Amino acid sequence: MAQQVQPLPYGVGHTSRAWIAWVAALAAVAIAGWYGWSVEISRGMIVTGLRDIGPMGGATWGLDVAFIVYWVGVSFAGITIAALIRLASLHALKPIARMAEALTVVALLAATFAIMYDLGQPLRGVVNLFRYARPQSPFFGTFTLVISGYLFASLVYLYLDGRADAAALARMPSRLRWFHRLWAAGYRGTPAERARHDRTAFWLAIAIVPLLVTAHSTLGFVFGLQVGRPGWYSALQAPAFVLLAGVSGLGALIVIAVIVRRTVPDAEIPDAAFRWLGTALLVLLLAYLYFMVVEILTNIYTGAARERDVTRELLFGDFAPIYWASVASFAISVGLLILRIVRRGVGLGLLVTAGILVNLGAIGKRFLIVVPSQTHGTLLPYGTGSYAPTWVEYIEAIGLFAFCAFLLIVFAKVFPIVPLNRAPRGGEAA
Amino acid sequence: MARYGMVIDLDRCTGCRGCMVSCKIENNTPQGSYWMYVFRFEEGEYPATKVRFMPRPCQHCDNAPCVKVCPVGARYKREDGLVATDWQRCIGCRYCEVACPYGVNTFNWGHPEEHYYFDWNAEDVAPEVRGTIPAWDNPSLDEPYGPEQRHIAGGGHLKGVVDKCTFCVQRVEEGLDPACVQNCPVRALIFGDLDDPESEPAKILERRPSFRLLEEAGTEPRVHYVGGAPPTSETRQIEPAKAEV
Amino acid sequence: MKRVAIALALVVVGFALQAITYLFLATPIGKPTSVRFSNPRVPFAPALFILGVMLVFIAAIVYELLPERGDEGSTRGDEPRA
Repeated sequence: MAQQVQPLPYGVGHTSRAWIAWVAALAAVAIAGWYGWSVEISRGMIVTGLRDIGPMGGATWGLDVAFIVYWVGVSFAGITIAALIRLASLHALKPIARMAEALTVVALLAATFAIMYDLGQPLRGVVNLFRYARPQSPFFGTFTLVISGYLFASLVYLYLDGRADAAALARMPSRLRWFHRLWAAGYRGTPAERARHDRTAFWLAIAIVPLLVTAHSTLGFVFGLQVGRPGWYSALQAPAFVLLAGVSGLGALIVIAVIVRRTVPDAEIPDAAFRWLGTALLVLLLAYLYFMVVEILTNIYTGAARERDVTRELLFGDFAPIYWASVASFAISVGLLILRIVRRGVGLGLLVTAGILVNLGAIGKRFLIVVPSQTHGTLLPYGTGSYAPTWVEYIEAIGLFAFCAFLLIVFAKVFPIVPLNRAPRGGEAA
Repeated sequence: MARYGMVIDLDRCTGCRGCMVSCKIENNTPQGSYWMYVFRFEEGEYPATKVRFMPRPCQHCDNAPCVKVCPVGARYKREDGLVATDWQRCIGCRYCEVACPYGVNTFNWGHPEEHYYFDWNAEDVAPEVRGTIPAWDNPSLDEPYGPEQRHIAGGGHLKGVVDKCTFCVQRVEEGLDPACVQNCPVRALIFGDLDDPESEPAKILERRPSFRLLEEAGTEPRVHYVGGAPPTSETRQIEPAKAEV
Repeated sequence: MKRVAIALALVVVGFALQAITYLFLATPIGKPTSVRFSNPRVPFAPALFILGVMLVFIAAIVYELLPERGDEGSTRGDEPRA
């Protein structure tokens, strides 16, 4: 057979100069982020802009926590899409399933790093959480369900869903053959195996959806259950977290899908997939904007004095620029997404712009959830505090983006980021 | 078993902040972290303004939000009513700090210094303190402590963990009053066993109307205030709280 | 079928482990009146809880990867290529 010359599909195993340059650049930025962390570890968190709430007039949770929430939010999209494809038979979305699953995994790894950045004693965190964690603490869900359970579930899903492709690739000679063989783990594509996979994928999807809502809710409860922090204590916190998670996750997924369509050879992501993503993003975004209005109205109409203070600070005070920038980025995204529907085209440019904007908006909103209630929401009259992140926190945050992108582009070179086309078969024709 | 608590007489407090100083000396807390803090308030509009003072130690709540949220159980409630921090278990997530409505938790942002205020072993100091062991140098605080056999903050201010007021547990266990109580020149702070009707704080609470801070938050503090009134939303702090660390 | 039985058993054990650790082995839930509410009843109970979560998903891997015993349709390697 003349397979020696046949390249693997979707550019797997084929490294171009541009790709190597990107890998090097991203690795450098990611390492810069870890350098920031090493400074934080050796000198203490004094190198961050965080300070104690109260007499010290600071915020004790800042950018790190905002990014924990953000990254967990981004992870939402992947596995949800994968589950929805199974449960709702959204065949048009099949080509983006793999990248969605991969996005979930890398986003959760980034969230894990963000948590470590935020701990004063990260090493103890690793041991003591497994040893002593208390179910009564809202953090319990964050690290058992989100970081451990959700990450593990996503890996299982990614692994099982990739086996058929791995088996196909393992039959082609390449330097990565051992890896594909390992992944395939004896998969031969017999009808029995396929039937089994369809069954497990269905049940995994069923199991993952409730896990997903619970996991994102527990993160909302971290804030929503705190009676001592005006602006946090709200029943809306958990559902709003789930929604904003969907918004940022879908936004990130759109951006990645467009990049894949443009750069990966032969990658065919149908227009229908983008139409679906755009509409789904629009719906979630509108729902989230509705939540925002409800929240603001509740807090300013009668709200307790401190609730009003925090809200006033958001709308007109120190945090107004970030707040209105976030609102604007959401509003513009809504406009772009509607425009795309009206125009009836695919509107990739509009979609990417909206995807990036909603992520910027989501980062802004996460920051605004975390910080103002600490600097301006003390129930005792401490006076207002302030918080400005330092370069350490910025470089850590930027490093995580580079880390995620690095993992994704490396993954795209060792495994097809788009599932291989298969001959249509009974009941599952695309 | 004794269940300790504190009564703070706001009619007596002169806002001298002697309690804050003695707390710092006793516990060697880093700059900017106040286990005991005295608010200096201003109320009303000129010319009808009024100045008030309000000391704020840890409230040692019976339903402490910090204990509830601690992910690893480093914050715990002792049988004697004290809320303590196991600095050997704390992972430094600072959840207790955001959960506490009173703002009493302090984090060790950097490496600790051995003595922030004065060296107890220095030539001119040693004769004055006559061999007293300060809390930060107290070997028993480096060991599991008390009936709970858990560590208790007050020792070394380890980098990256949370500290807070301990009611000077190392003094209370010896039958002494906390440092702030001991040093208050006007006896505005009274410490004792609130379960014992014969104790001084219990008698005061029997006699005079009292309030607790932010009772609506359901935290059930063990610090009671008599005289004066709780701060309202009209209350302004005179000095903006801001400490360089 | 053996395959189904093993997978189901893993799922059941996983959920049971979660429930048991959450309710009986980890730190009790309630108004924190003593140090009891800050110490897990069994050390490393949270790790057991996570193990329970993982077992549920490991079941899927076991279900798919358990080697066949010749009782099912077997050797036709008919994976069509792109």
